[in-house]
Amino acid sequence: MAALPSLPAELASADVAAGVVTLTVRDDVYPLDAVFAAAFTFIKDCWVVVDRGDASHWAIALTPKTAGASAAELEAWVGGFANELLACAYRQRLAKDNRATVEAVTNAALAGALGPPTLDELEDFDFSNEAFEDPLGIAQSWEDKYGKKAKAADPAPADATDDDGGAP
Amino acid sequence: MIEVALHKDVYAGEAVDAAMKQFARFATLEPIETASHWIVRVTARSAARERTIAGELANHALGGSAARRSAVTS
Repeated sequence: MAALPSLPAELASADVAAGVVTLTVRDDVYPLDAVFAAAFTFIKDCWVVVDRGDASHWAIALTPKTAGASAAELEAWVGGFANELLACAYRQRLAKDNRATVEAVTNAALAGALGPPTLDELEDFDFSNEAFEDPLGIAQSWEDKYGKKAKAADPAPADATDDDGGAP
Repeated sequence: MIEVALHKDVYAGEAVDAAMKQFARFATLEPIETASHWIVRVTARSAARERTIAGELANHALGGSAARRSAVTS
């Protein structure tokens, strides 16, 4: 393992013959979820193995899939990974810090602009299950509303009377 | 023969098993469990093939472990 010129030796080292570069980071600064997220962006081009450097560090080994990578290429890979890891860790921290705010905004949006009902509104609310009023007769059946009318030629019922109360 | 050592703090055992099943038809894979690592011994026709299979198996196990972790935490 050899140190890379642009990165501190305790953070990154490369084995050019094996084509492997290793980045060592603290696990309290870079949580495992951030390491996974950063690794996901590199698994198309590199083989990634995450190991424990020691009790408080992750050691991430990147091996470019194209064999014969030079020291400069390995340095570029590990530099890119370090940047991505930092971005993922920061994004995760922002999401964690703002989680309560995001949940509150989402709840307010889903609950509607009016917000929860007041006690007065609840008091006025009709919880009974009575039949509703139907002044327009919408709920009436067809027969009730447009029942067959008696034909003019039909004999009047025996108990029918004129308007003046006399016999027809 | 090449060995891949996958730390138990990082890799879920089920994810390593799933990765081994995925790549078993390409090489001979032998699992070894230690106190801290899942070790997979890869034997294939050539060194280059072993290197490729070991690397892809590690990537597959990493993806599976991350998926299981996010399923647990969400």
